[in-house]
Amino acid sequence: MSVKVEVGAGGIPHNQILIYGLVGSLVLIYLTYLNTVTNTQYFAFFGGLAAVAALIWGTDTIKHLCSYGLGTGVPSAGMIALGSGIIAAIFGATTGIFAPIVTVIIAAIIGAVAGLMANHVVRMDIPVMIVSLIELAIVGAMTVLGLTAMACGTFEFLGMITGTVVILGFAVEAYGASVIGGSIIAVIFMLGAIAIQHSFNACLGPGEQQDRTLMLAAECGFLSMITVAIISFAFIGLLAALVSLLVSIVGWIYTYTKYIELAKRDAYAWLDAQPIMEPKGGA
Amino acid sequence: MEEIVFGIGITALAGALATVAGAAEDTESDIGSQGDPNSQVQLAPQMGYIHRIFNKAVAGEPPAYGLWVALGAGLAWAFMAMQINPILAIVLGSALAVFVQGVYATTAYLGRTASLAKFGQPVYIDILKSMTTVTMAHAFVAIFTTVAMCHLMIAALGHPFPLPLMGLVWGIALGAAGSATGNPFYGKERQYQEQKFGAGVPISASGNIVRYAEAGQRNSLDNGFFSAKLGGPASGICFGLIVFFELWRTVVFEELNIWGPIIVGIVVILVFAIIDRYIEVWARKNFGPYTAPEAPEEASS
Repeated sequence: MSVKVEVGAGGIPHNQILIYGLVGSLVLIYLTYLNTVTNTQYFAFFGGLAAVAALIWGTDTIKHLCSYGLGTGVPSAGMIALGSGIIAAIFGATTGIFAPIVTVIIAAIIGAVAGLMANHVVRMDIPVMIVSLIELAIVGAMTVLGLTAMACGTFEFLGMITGTVVILGFAVEAYGASVIGGSIIAVIFMLGAIAIQHSFNACLGPGEQQDRTLMLAAECGFLSMITVAIISFAFIGLLAALVSLLVSIVGWIYTYTKYIELAKRDAYAWLDAQPIMEPKGGA
Repeated sequence: MEEIVFGIGITALAGALATVAGAAEDTESDIGSQGDPNSQVQLAPQMGYIHRIFNKAVAGEPPAYGLWVALGAGLAWAFMAMQINPILAIVLGSALAVFVQGVYATTAYLGRTASLAKFGQPVYIDILKSMTTVTMAHAFVAIFTTVAMCHLMIAALGHPFPLPLMGLVWGIALGAAGSATGNPFYGKERQYQEQKFGAGVPISASGNIVRYAEAGQRNSLDNGFFSAKLGGPASGICFGLIVFFELWRTVVFEELNIWGPIIVGIVVILVFAIIDRYIEVWARKNFGPYTAPEAPEEASS
């Protein structure tokens, strides 16, 4: 299983993306704390942007990991990333203001255990497995924490398990109407798991280009943000959710058009209603 | 007694919704060459077979449908929390989930095809335009019926899970049913009509999928017609039976004993295992070339 398959060479080095992704997502998640400081909810969208930053980093990690002949393993990499990450994120959220940092540390530990198991117990023997699974667990945790913070306006556990239900005109706090109690976290799990693996899964092949793959990662992130912004109407104020929705839609349209341009650049030909062009010399 | 009769009515309705969902799901995924058929569609240009088949690999069907249905259910849940009527909420949630599905489908086709530039596979924009919309329509039917079924289980049968979690569980089940039942009709046989029935895919035939239709060139809409005839209904029956038996054993036997549904579940699995084995052996004996001692090597499944 340790034969390297062809992926696009060149581009930004992975370590640089790692640093930008880690620092960027941490800073952006902490910016949602402005909600608590200023006692508003307008800064919830920073959580989504943190998820986008993490997803870009995670895509590059998956590209490195899956270049070791793991063609059908690309979606599974997304699942293990979010599976490890969601545990770390929920545990980390209980630590108040330290939540993002604790989440990163716990995710790194879970990822390391998963990596050691994969390499030494399952004997997959992939050189970058342990490091990649650590990175992926952190990416998954930041994605869950970011999108959850976007949905309910805070990365603190109490905010995730309390929602309000209006009964006879009175707002009553209820567990069942919260992000975790209503299982919106399950939606966030799947949004992150598909978004993290889709970019490389969709762009793999000999003509893979890093800028196109990463642009698609950002597109998947913003697309997930749009749906989380719509869900957030149930949790945070109307105006705050509208701000989130606007940011996500603008980001999505920009990245989607950019991605189509890049696909046009890399494609062999861009044809509309043309027949099959048999290669010269016949099949 | 009345409660059981009501429960069986809901069970039948849920089973009917699931049947429609299974049929739509398999047709959708076959038009997009998702799951089983995908590897050969992806491989064909590398072997020199340029084709006009839609190639939207978002993930395996179970995770992909896990997302679409969980997303539809999550959005419907959020709309219901905003005091919107459940039917309207489910329609809106499913429509938004289908929008996400459509965007994922386009990016998957563009990405995969652009990365095959080296082998001369062009991007056919008309395929993107005509086939994405058809998959979206089928996906809407699949997502709407599954979310509606989940809502029925919660609202009418009193299932304790919240709607998004039910959506995730049943979405994965839906994808798995379609992937296991319907795809082989297309992926193992229709793509390889030129091979002997049941012969598998020898390495020399890898990527040599059928690219020309009865008249003109085959595209994925032709595969849609085919799937709607065979693979789709088979998947529908599969998923419908799964949902029906799952609810039926709980509704009917829970009253007798708490272990009742579990025992009935095991019995149902055993009965189906015996039926499946019988059909498989019968089909091999009557149709397959399996009697030859030197069976051709199978490349992939």
